[in-house]
Amino acid sequence: MPAPHAVSSPDAAPDDGAGGLPGEVMIWILIISELAVFSAGLLALLAGRLTDPAGFAEAQSHLHRVGAAVNTVVLVTSGYLAAVAAHKAGHRPTVARRLLMLAAGLGAVFLAVKASEYIDLFTQGIGTETHPFFTFFYLLTGFHAAHVLAGMVLLMVVAIRLAPRPVGVAAAFWHMVDLVWVLLVPVVYLL
Amino acid sequence: MTLHRTWAALVALSFLTAALTTANPTRAALVMGVLALAGLKYRLILRHYLELWQSPAWARGFDLVLALLLASFAGLLLAG
Amino acid sequence: MKYQTQKIALAYFAVAMALFAVQVTMGLVLGYIYIQPNFLSEILPFNVGRMLHTNSLVVWLLLGFFGAAYYLVPEESEREIHSPKLAYLQLAIFVLGTAGVVVTYLFNLFDGNFALGNEGREFLEQPKWVKVGIVVAALIFLYNITMTVLAGKKTAITNILLLGLWALALLFLFAFYNPSNLALDKMYWWYVVHLWVEGTWELVMASILAFLMLKLTGVDREVVEKWLYVIAALALFSGILGTGHHYYWIGTPGYWQWIGSIFSSLEIVPFFAMMSFAFVMVWKGRRDHPNKAALLWSLGCATLAFFGAGVWGFLHTLHGVNYYSHGTQITAAHGHLAFYGAYVCLNLAIITYAMPALRGRDPFNQVLNMASFWLMSAGVVFMTFTLTFAGTVQTHLQRVNGEAYMDVQDQLWIFYAMRFGSGVAVVLGAVLFIYSVSFPRREIIEAGVKVPAE
Ligand code: HEM
Ligand code: HEM
Ligand SMILES: [Fe+2]
Repeated sequence: MPAPHAVSSPDAAPDDGAGGLPGEVMIWILIISELAVFSAGLLALLAGRLTDPAGFAEAQSHLHRVGAAVNTVVLVTSGYLAAVAAHKAGHRPTVARRLLMLAAGLGAVFLAVKASEYIDLFTQGIGTETHPFFTFFYLLTGFHAAHVLAGMVLLMVVAIRLAPRPVGVAAAFWHMVDLVWVLLVPVVYLL
Repeated sequence: MTLHRTWAALVALSFLTAALTTANPTRAALVMGVLALAGLKYRLILRHYLELWQSPAWARGFDLVLALLLASFAGLLLAG
Repeated sequence: MKYQTQKIALAYFAVAMALFAVQVTMGLVLGYIYIQPNFLSEILPFNVGRMLHTNSLVVWLLLGFFGAAYYLVPEESEREIHSPKLAYLQLAIFVLGTAGVVVTYLFNLFDGNFALGNEGREFLEQPKWVKVGIVVAALIFLYNITMTVLAGKKTAITNILLLGLWALALLFLFAFYNPSNLALDKMYWWYVVHLWVEGTWELVMASILAFLMLKLTGVDREVVEKWLYVIAALALFSGILGTGHHYYWIGTPGYWQWIGSIFSSLEIVPFFAMMSFAFVMVWKGRRDHPNKAALLWSLGCATLAFFGAGVWGFLHTLHGVNYYSHGTQITAAHGHLAFYGAYVCLNLAIITYAMPALRGRDPFNQVLNMASFWLMSAGVVFMTFTLTFAGTVQTHLQRVNGEAYMDVQDQLWIFYAMRFGSGVAVVLGAVLFIYSVSFPRREIIEAGVKVPAE
């Protein structure tokens, strides 16, 4: 979601981040930017849908809704593990490291579920140009999956040389991936 | 709210969403219900996973933009 | 001037300004051809003049960036430049290459020759041997600056500047790859052209502006640096995938329409941030720096870049709009105000700031310089308006009503005549600028001070 005042924030209180935002300012800028991009994409999908509601509904019926629901639970659980890891990074490094690895592992589960859906669609001969819905579908879920992959790498990297700050940043990135998914599922899969 | 309660709430909201989508409600009820549940999840993640509760002004800003976004979703979904 | 080697910048700025004069003069010739199509048609065909106009623009802007780097890096890293000799060698290579380009274009020499002939891709027309020269010169430059920075203090300003300059040079390598498939050709062409002005050059712009703000307003370095990192991040986030706004109609897959529309719409944000940055720094600043002209150019740069790149860019960046406006005078309107606001003004700002120190004279001619800002900027802004109107009418007649291209051009004559008029103002402004930083030895307003009291 665009938060238009974000750009002036670095100056609002130069010493304590941006007016009390928890954690690093830069990661918040990334979160806001990503939310803006995905929100715009979802709005564009819904605007496109107005031109052909029946076609969009038909296209949507090919998706794996149960897979999407499973993936929601997978992601919020993984986010939980990352959040706990961020709390423990300072005083329980071994626990934190295990939690981060587990969180990244759930990311892999997410991608596996996602891949099974893509493979199914591909075998039905559905590509990005099959229908406008699928253009948006592949773009939005593909971008999101790319972020899941990037987040997994990030979680594993910060797990190696564990320190509270980088773990906080990686966990925040991971939560962003959750946030995007929560907005994406209703629009792309359910409604 | 502790992290594990947040997690439990998120999972519960996900099951509610699944229940709603399989219960054959009217179109309007489905749209409003699913979007409202998504909005609740969004707020939980933002406030407790990302700890935005620490900064009420920003949390309000995010809520406002979220409300506008979900309203636009609902408008576009119910228009066609 | 604290460091001797900062003097290198003077040579770069001098060559840059000479090319600037050539560039705007050539623009005027083009503008005249638009209203008198047979003007010089034998000696200087439009396409050749156009190449000279755009290429000299890019070359002088780059020379200005190099000069700026040679000026500010010693001050930031608190070290003399690693090797002044290499710096002058680099300049010599550039001058030789530029001369080669001019001669090749003017006389259309070696047409079609692999190494010697021009390559016929807008902005990247240079013959291959010149491109190689550019790469060699760029490597010399990067070596020289990087060694200086590595030996001295590392600041956010030099970090971002180096990041921008390294990426700029690496992207230029795509200029060597010219596939015969036209769609692929265009795809890689934009890697250079778009990723330059909406990526790496933006980093250069942000860091030079940050340097100027630091010096001119006296705001804490910490505050300036925070802004700088945020702006750089926003520029890269939006600008890289923003390339998609050039992939709408060249044969690339349809999803680029959405990637391009969404990411390039966000490109307005870093330009807005740069404008906010400049004004906030001035409001917060406590220092009353005597170089008011440099401040005027800096603020003008941030503001006009926001309008030219941000607003005029957004105007035609959504694919639904671009479907109609693609390649019309709207594009030219945007190209002029964006290049002028972001990069011409930026260079003139750092030149205005550095010249008094480089030439060792403290009272510098602010009144003339500031007048040149208003004259030139008014000219470019007016030109932007005339071209925007022309483009709107053109889009309607040609793209909506389907009239023939040349029939439409005939109807646009009045706009082109006005564009020529504003071009005259731009050229006069440029001459005035060059005069004001190069020639006067004393400040005009000093005359009043020296009048003895009665
Ligand atoms: C500092 C000032 C100037 C800058 C930064 C500048 C920049 C540019 C650029 C970037 C282009 C290529 C545009 C495109 O590809 O769409 C261009 C083309 C052109 N410029 Fe300029 N220019 C300047 C001054 C002038 C002046 C003073 C005139 C005179 C009226 C002029 C007239 C033209 C014309 C006629 C073209 C060719 C447009 C076409 O191909 O139809 N420019 N200029
Ligand atoms: C300082 C930054 C910028 C400069 C110097 C610049 C310059 C230019 C130039 C010279 C062209 C014409 C290229 C050609 O076709 O030959 C162009 C095209 C274009 N620019 Fe920019 N630009 C800048 C920033 C932006 C931004 C921020 C946006 C979007 C928000 C944008 C959107 C576009 C679009 C959509 C086109 C294609 C126009 C068409 O289809 O004909 N530009 N730009
Ligand atoms: Fe571009």
